[in-house]
Amino acid sequence: MTETTPESTLLSRTGELFFRPGKTILTFFEHLGRYMSTIGWMIYNFRNAKEYSGNIIQQMVMIGNNSIPIVLFVSMFVGMVTAVQSSYQLYAWIPRSVVGALVTKSVLLELTPLLTALVLAGKVGATITAELGTMRVTEQIDALEALAFDPISFLITPRVLAGVLMFPILVVFGDLVAILGGMFGASAIAGIPVEAFVDGMKSSFETWDAIFGIIKATVFGFIITSVSCYQGFQVQGGSEGVGKATMNTVVLACLSVVVMDFILASVLL
Amino acid sequence: MIQLTNIWKKFGEKQVHNGVNLEVRDNETLVIIGRSGGGKSVLLKMIIGLIKPDSGSIMVDGKEVASLTYKQLQRLRFKFGFLFQGAALFDSMTVGQNIELALRRHTDYKDADITERVKFALRLVKLENVEHLMPSNISGGMKKRVGLARAIALTPKYMLYDEPTTGLDVETADGINLLINELKTTLGVTSIVVTHDIHSAFVVGDRFAIFENGQFIMTGTKDDIRNSPNPEVRKYIESDIQT
Repeated sequence: MTETTPESTLLSRTGELFFRPGKTILTFFEHLGRYMSTIGWMIYNFRNAKEYSGNIIQQMVMIGNNSIPIVLFVSMFVGMVTAVQSSYQLYAWIPRSVVGALVTKSVLLELTPLLTALVLAGKVGATITAELGTMRVTEQIDALEALAFDPISFLITPRVLAGVLMFPILVVFGDLVAILGGMFGASAIAGIPVEAFVDGMKSSFETWDAIFGIIKATVFGFIITSVSCYQGFQVQGGSEGVGKATMNTVVLACLSVVVMDFILASVLL
Repeated sequence: MIQLTNIWKKFGEKQVHNGVNLEVRDNETLVIIGRSGGGKSVLLKMIIGLIKPDSGSIMVDGKEVASLTYKQLQRLRFKFGFLFQGAALFDSMTVGQNIELALRRHTDYKDADITERVKFALRLVKLENVEHLMPSNISGGMKKRVGLARAIALTPKYMLYDEPTTGLDVETADGINLLINELKTTLGVTSIVVTHDIHSAFVVGDRFAIFENGQFIMTGTKDDIRNSPNPEVRKYIESDIQT
């Protein structure tokens, strides 16, 4: 039997200190490689997408239609709170119409795309991972392959495509409701006349701001759906594995969204 | 014919297969018997390319599975029907949609032909008028039958059964065993049945292979198995006598 001495314990702890981060980094790159390979396969076989049009429409309903209430609810309050806080932070001598400008700019450029993405990372991302993860542990994905189906084209492509198509639409609805919410918050709480708010909104509005928000939503839609599909496909074990993968999806999707938010702002603005 | 030669497979630190050799002859039902979690189901998945062995060769009708392109592998899978342990029915689809899925994707059948084909497959497994039901609303035995109907919808040459009677009561399990025999007669399929239930094995099998510690320790007929002096084989026979 190996004798445990203080020196050997110290040695093993020191080794572990270097080994653990190294293993984590390796695992990260292993997953990144598999994720990229899945995306590559999806793009390579994209021509098959029309064969699964039924699945795509079903996913568009699931991701888009079913998310409208929560997106509108969040957007409404984001608009209202932005208006109230902007009004609170402005000096008295600054024209009140600036609130309209601030709300419009903030909502279009940042708040609606980002908060919609974070909310949907939880709602849509978790749903997709739990669904595909359950299919994995109950061998439904194996069954698809045994029936000579390509599970990536059948399960992942429709979800990612639906995310890429529906996220921008949700964000456009979200933008409209957030601005209306801002208008309501500004007039009802901060006492700013609707005309002043609209003047500010008109003076600051630039088409590029709205386009930028839509581009962000498209990218976020891709990230959230692809990460959640990948996580679902990688599930191992039983229900515990599904739960762990679902949690990983929400964390990873949120982190990826905020990092990509910064990158897009740096590159496109 | 299916031939496995010197198959080695490791999952993490666990060596699951240590040079597995097996031959499945045309039109026979070969039963693989072994303890749960030993790697029997992995062998079935390797045969249709769902899992790759670390080394060794798997030949199906003279073709090496590992060297097939993705398209060729898809075509090879048409030859197989696979009954999964938990039936693996698609729970977002009805029974009918589960069975017609592959028919719609891989054949040029018209709607009426597909409907007729689904009914035919269901009749073969002794089910009728269940097309509209969801998998969550049917019993375990019915799920296995639907899984079987789905597996035979494309009239496969080979049937792979992964623990077909596990989790079923004796009566339902006997029903599934009878179905396996009937399908062999009706469709003339070559079958591989993986099970740890020696009673079911003897009902459906022509030949038997005992899988222990990552290898086949014995292959033979019912009499060969029953008369084997090998203690590793005897433990399965004795478990049958006890039941």
